[in-house]
Amino acid sequence: MVEIKNAGYAVGKKWLLENISYQFFPGKCYMICGPNGAGKSTLMKLLSLLSIPDVGEVFYNNTKINYTNKEGYSKYRAVLSQQVDISFPMEVEEVVMMGRYPHFKIKPSKEDIEICDEVIELQNLQSFRKRNFLTLSGGERQRVQFARVLSQIWKAPEQGSRILLLDEPISSLDIKYQFDFLKHVQQFLNERTIIIAVLHDLNLALNYADEILLLNKGKLFSSGKPGDVLSPENINAVFQLEFKLHQFNDMQFLWSVV
Amino acid sequence: MKRIIFVLALPLVLFSCGQFGNKEKDSKRDMRIVCVSKQLNEMIFAVGKGHNIVAVDLSSTYPDSAKLLPTVGYHRMLSAEGIISMKPDLVLHDNDMGPANVLPQLEKAGLNIKAYDIGRTIDSSKLVLKQLANFFGVPKLADSLNQKLDADLLTAKNILASIHIVDTPSVMVIQFGRAGNSFFVMSGRGGIPDKMIELAGGRPAHYDAKGARQINSEAVATANPDIIIATDYGFDKMGGAENFKEGIPGVALTNAAKNNRIYRFEEHDLVYFGPRTGENVMKLMKLFYPNANVPAK
Amino acid sequence: MFRQSKFFFPFTIVLLIVILLCAVAFGAVSIPIHDMFSGLLHVLQNKKSANIYEGVFIEIRLPRVLLCTITGAILSVSGVLLQGLFRNPIVEPGLIGTSAGAAFGASIVFVFAIRMSAEIRDLAGPLLVPVFAFGGGLLATFLVYSISKSQKRISVTSLLLVGIAINAIGLSGTGFMSYIARDPQARSITFWNLGTFSGATWPQVGITWAVAIIVFIISFRYSKQLNALILGEEEATHLGVEPEKLKRRIMILSTAMVAVATAFVGVISFIGLIVPHILRLLIGSDNKKLIPASMIMGAIILTVADMGARLLIAPAEVPIGIITSIAGAPVFIFLLKKFNLLQEKGSSYG
Repeated sequence: MVEIKNAGYAVGKKWLLENISYQFFPGKCYMICGPNGAGKSTLMKLLSLLSIPDVGEVFYNNTKINYTNKEGYSKYRAVLSQQVDISFPMEVEEVVMMGRYPHFKIKPSKEDIEICDEVIELQNLQSFRKRNFLTLSGGERQRVQFARVLSQIWKAPEQGSRILLLDEPISSLDIKYQFDFLKHVQQFLNERTIIIAVLHDLNLALNYADEILLLNKGKLFSSGKPGDVLSPENINAVFQLEFKLHQFNDMQFLWSVV
Repeated sequence: MKRIIFVLALPLVLFSCGQFGNKEKDSKRDMRIVCVSKQLNEMIFAVGKGHNIVAVDLSSTYPDSAKLLPTVGYHRMLSAEGIISMKPDLVLHDNDMGPANVLPQLEKAGLNIKAYDIGRTIDSSKLVLKQLANFFGVPKLADSLNQKLDADLLTAKNILASIHIVDTPSVMVIQFGRAGNSFFVMSGRGGIPDKMIELAGGRPAHYDAKGARQINSEAVATANPDIIIATDYGFDKMGGAENFKEGIPGVALTNAAKNNRIYRFEEHDLVYFGPRTGENVMKLMKLFYPNANVPAK
Repeated sequence: MFRQSKFFFPFTIVLLIVILLCAVAFGAVSIPIHDMFSGLLHVLQNKKSANIYEGVFIEIRLPRVLLCTITGAILSVSGVLLQGLFRNPIVEPGLIGTSAGAAFGASIVFVFAIRMSAEIRDLAGPLLVPVFAFGGGLLATFLVYSISKSQKRISVTSLLLVGIAINAIGLSGTGFMSYIARDPQARSITFWNLGTFSGATWPQVGITWAVAIIVFIISFRYSKQLNALILGEEEATHLGVEPEKLKRRIMILSTAMVAVATAFVGVISFIGLIVPHILRLLIGSDNKKLIPASMIMGAIILTVADMGARLLIAPAEVPIGIITSIAGAPVFIFLLKKFNLLQEKGSSYG
């Protein structure tokens, strides 16, 4: 379980986040939505432990975070960002192996190698193994990064759940890759996994999330079931759009009211 | 593959370079001398033992035959192996060798090493010449050279006394071109060029250096020397007095430039005292006082 | 992509051994092989060298080759470390001011040692110059680090710009020392900036090898963390790395060994640039392989360069800094063009 309690974060005098409290339970996929500047990235930074809240606390698996010794958390908490650029050429399988770094000191164990093999197969990257990461397309690169992230938390910890944080992971991808990605994310979800993602696209959030957090101006505007949170009133208030839920066959989607 | 062969062949090529460079004819030598001091080299030639020298340092440019000898590099950038490879029976230096470890290395290698401290006065230079000549077993040669030096200096003094000097000309020595386009004023610091100037009847042009090594063109113009002595390298690089005037900022504004009193002088005749100092003083004097009655050599 | 990986290490190690043998075999003095062996034998028997050939071999050529070899390794590994740290292939100890600072530190000794009491000089002995050089190098590196840290993260561009400034200060400081020094010392400083292995002594070899080996071992243990940094500082943090702590440590390690080498040899540039670049093309960027590979490759290249230095115009020598610059400057320009003059890829504020 991941919990954030009364958290706030300020830069100078400006509060980017105020009074955020929420509990994230395993087996569910949470999505954080909101307009630009609402505080989504900041919230993600607090949840991933990259930033320390000025007010409030963060808990992983019921334990308060110890910011001076964060190494252990990397064994079961992984983060995938929008676009990870690497500065030197590396082979794809080397990049994937980096996900196992929190798990070995100098040399990868047999288990580490097996996990990487499994993940590469899962993501259909066998033919890419020896290729230079820098020669891949954007979509291919993200697949490799996703494989790395998966390998990092392939095994759940003994107690508690594994945590997958996704910060706008598909914003720069082609549509085909976007859906592919989300499908894999869904497959990764199980009763010992928590997935928290920042997603721009409201429709994708609507269809893939179990719960949505809607942020506005640094505060938690609304949270809960996607259908409830993304109501026309809420969307109007936060995004200044006249949107409503439309039904098409057995699918729901949000579009403007006209 | 090609790279490998190249890399392996390179050391062999380099090795042979060194080998062929070292073959010289060992004729009529009493001993093999490596001398890394320009003053000492000149003196050795002066006492007639120049044929024993097998290698000199980069700055030894007098006499001309010294320029033909192989060089072991700049005297502050020597290598012990380089010197040893010349198989010297004797290594001569004036306590100005570098890097610091080379001398101990040569000593450890058991080479015969002798140091002479040239000093910065005419007397110390005469003394060293005497000591050197003693070492080579030709003390009388030193005596005659030193006597000639004294005689020349005396002649110069007398001539200067006989002319009625109204205005002692101010003289500046400019070295140009060794480091790109920077020029370096060698006079006015109380060093050897100043003493030469004074002996030749001039006075070093005064400037306020404020402790700086390189004075700028404004200072040159303000100092306004009557005569400019340009060292050989820079003068030749410029291509003559006219170009020198134009090329070096500040010079054109001086009296020296306006009166066409820019003269070429060999640097190694100015920067240290040696057997020819007397002659060089006379040469300078003739430049300062072209109308004086300087006896022909 | 890197098919050569499997044969790379055996091949280069053999090549290094061959080059080392050539380096000790060839020199301005032709030393007969039997004298080389008898010289070594006498050392083992704790006797003095029997003749001049043995003496040259043991006292002059061996220490020189050994110092040159380890310096090549030091400069290359330092290049790898700094490039990994700052995520840019155009970083090396010369560029961020470490070498200039070390040179300045050493130049202070040359000028003021004369005014120091004889006791201090005797006490410190051969350590005086490297200690001051280490101080100078650390000061320069620390200045660069703290100035560019004024933004919360160290950006490469600002680092290089500050490095340029520190270089300028270090070099003019050294120049100033030469202004106020008496003539013979001054020449020491200028020549010092061109670099030479002439005058290498066994104590210097001992100190440099000791420092180098310690630093190499520690750096190798950081290879995993340096690899993680390739993904960017944020990503590395998510993988359990503490980037700021890592950077500080790597900077100190790199500075220590570069300063010691610079103290004895002078400023030698571009090795830290050329070697890692070539190696990345051959075996990739995994620091676990790159660090040991640059030790070997750097040793090879500098030893070959020094052979050129002392054989090309024997009995005179070419300052080694000139040789490395002639080879290195084109590579530097090539790298600038290839990477389009610093395209900053990396962490950004959320």
